[in-house]
Amino acid sequence: MKGLMYRNLKIYFSNKSGVFFSLMGALISFVLYLIFLRQNMVSSWSSVPDTKLLLDPWLIGGTLTITAITTTLSSLSLMVQDRGKNTLSDLSLTDVSYLGIQCSYLLTAMIVGIIMQLVMYFMMGGYFMIADNSPLEMAIFPQIFGIIVLSSFIWTAFNLLLLSFVKKIDTLGKIGTIVGTASGFLAGVYIPIGMLPTTVQQFMKYTPALYNTAIYRNILMNTQLQHSFKNFPVSVLNSFKDNMGISVKWGSQILTNQQDSLVILSFAVVISMVAVLIFRFSRRVVISRA
Amino acid sequence: MKLLQAINLTKKFPNKLAVNNISLTINQGDLVALLGPNGAGKSTTLNMLIGVSQPTSGKIIFGDKSASIKDYKNEIGVVFQGSVLDANLTVKDNIMTRAHMYTRTVQLNSLIKKFELESIWKQPYCSLSGGQKRRVDIARALISSPKLLFLDEPSTGLDIQTRTKIWEVLNQLREDTGLTIVFTTHYLEESENADYVYIMDQGKVIAEDTVAGLQQKYTQNVLQLDYLTGETTTTTLDNKDEAIKILVKNAKLLTNFEYRPGTMDDVFMNLTGKEIR
Repeated sequence: MKGLMYRNLKIYFSNKSGVFFSLMGALISFVLYLIFLRQNMVSSWSSVPDTKLLLDPWLIGGTLTITAITTTLSSLSLMVQDRGKNTLSDLSLTDVSYLGIQCSYLLTAMIVGIIMQLVMYFMMGGYFMIADNSPLEMAIFPQIFGIIVLSSFIWTAFNLLLLSFVKKIDTLGKIGTIVGTASGFLAGVYIPIGMLPTTVQQFMKYTPALYNTAIYRNILMNTQLQHSFKNFPVSVLNSFKDNMGISVKWGSQILTNQQDSLVILSFAVVISMVAVLIFRFSRRVVISRA
Repeated sequence: MKLLQAINLTKKFPNKLAVNNISLTINQGDLVALLGPNGAGKSTTLNMLIGVSQPTSGKIIFGDKSASIKDYKNEIGVVFQGSVLDANLTVKDNIMTRAHMYTRTVQLNSLIKKFELESIWKQPYCSLSGGQKRRVDIARALISSPKLLFLDEPSTGLDIQTRTKIWEVLNQLREDTGLTIVFTTHYLEESENADYVYIMDQGKVIAEDTVAGLQQKYTQNVLQLDYLTGETTTTTLDNKDEAIKILVKNAKLLTNFEYRPGTMDDVFMNLTGKEIR
C-alpha cells in the first residue's frame, strides 16, 4: 500500500498546474480579501480597534477550510480517473488488495489536505506578518494542526461521497468548479454569514463547512478578540462572532469549540457510513468497467 | 501443457452479444494470437481472461482447476490497449512504484537492460515516443515475472521498425524464460508469427489452428502472372504441376510470375467473405 500511496502523492504533486488549480478557491478568497473585502469589513466594524489584526486571522480560518475542501477533492479525483481508464484493473493485479487500493486513495487525499493546509497557513500567516504585523502565534499551532487533520478527514469523507456518483472523468472538472465556488460561500469566506438572508444561513448550518471555519477562527482570533473587545460588553462580542461566523448559534445557544468539533465528527461518521454503503453496492461496477 | 483454458465463455451487454460461446486453450510457452477486425470481441474476451469483466456464462480453468482471477492474478501480466501508465511520472517512478506494490522480490535490472530503458529512465512517460512507451508498458507488465503475458493490440499505431523491435524483444524473452503470450491484433502479418491463431468475427471464433494449418485449410496457393502487355492475372490453384504447365505455356508472354501459399489475409477473406478492416 505504501508504494501505491507514494504513486498517488507523486501524481498529485508532479502536476504543478493541478496543484495550483486545486488551490484556486483558496487563492480567490485570499486575493478578493486583499483587494476589497477587507476594506468593506474594516469600515463596517470601524468602532472596534485593530480591525485589521482581527480580520487577518478571520480570513486565514475560512481559507484553510476552502483549502481542505478543494485539495482533498483534487487528490481524490485520481480515484475516478483510475476507474475511468483501465488503471484500477491494472492495480488490482498487484499484491495490493482492493481495500488497500481504496484506502490508499483516502489516505493520500488526507495527506494532501494536511500538507496543502499547512502550506496555505504559513503562506498567509507569513504574508500578514510582513504586511500587517499580524502575529503568527506558534503557541496555538498544535491546536491548529489538530484542526487541519480533522478538516482533512471530514472533507476526504465528504468528497468520497460526492465522487461515488461520478463515473466519467469528464464530470470531474465540472464538480471541481462547483465545489470550489460553493465552498467559498458555504465556509462564509466570500461574504460573512451575518450579511446573508436567514434561509441561506439556516442552509449553511446543515453543512460541515461553517463549523469547520468557526473552529479555525475561534482558535486563530481568540487572543486578538480579547484585546479588541476588552472595552465592549459581551453582547457586542457575541454579536460580532455570530455575524462573522466565528461561532455558530443553534437557536439561542452558542456552540463551543468542542461542540463544533463534535458536529464535524458526527458529519464525518454519517458521511463515511453512507459512502461505505454506496461503495459496497458499487464494488462490482467499479471493478468491471465493461 | 495446458496453462489457461476458457470454456464456453459468453459476454452479453444490455444491447449486444459481444462474445458468443467461445472456447480457448492456451498452452504453456506458446504465442497465441486472437485475430479479428475491430468489434470482433477480442478485447472483451481478453478482459474476461484478466478479470476486468465477468463472463455472463462459461468458465476459466487455470492450470488444472477451475479458477477465478484471484487464483491466478499473480501469474499474469497485462499490457492494456490504451496505456495505463501515469503520464506525468517518469519512467523510473512508473516502474519503481509498481515494483513496490508487490510483496515478492522483483527482478528489475535485467528488464531495464532488455527493454533499453536506461536512456529514458528519467524522462516523463508522456514525453516518450509511441515505441518507447510500449517498451515501458511491457517492461512494467513483466515486473512480477508472470508466466502469462496478455497484450491487447500491442502494436497498434506503431511504425514497422518499432513493431519489429518489440517482437524481437518479446521473442527473446520467450526463448529465455518460456513466457506464454496471448495477444490480440488486427494485423494479419503479426499473427503469422504465432504458434496458434484464433480468428474471431462478430463474437465468435470462426477458425482456429496453427498458421500453417489455417493456410492449408482455408486457402489455396496463388499463381500470379505478369504479362508483357502490362496485364496481371491471379489464379488460385493447389497443384504445382498445373502451375508449371501454365507457366510453360505462357512463358514467352510473361515478364514475371509469383507462386505463393495463401496468406492470413486470404484465410480471413475466405472465412468471412470480406477483408479485415
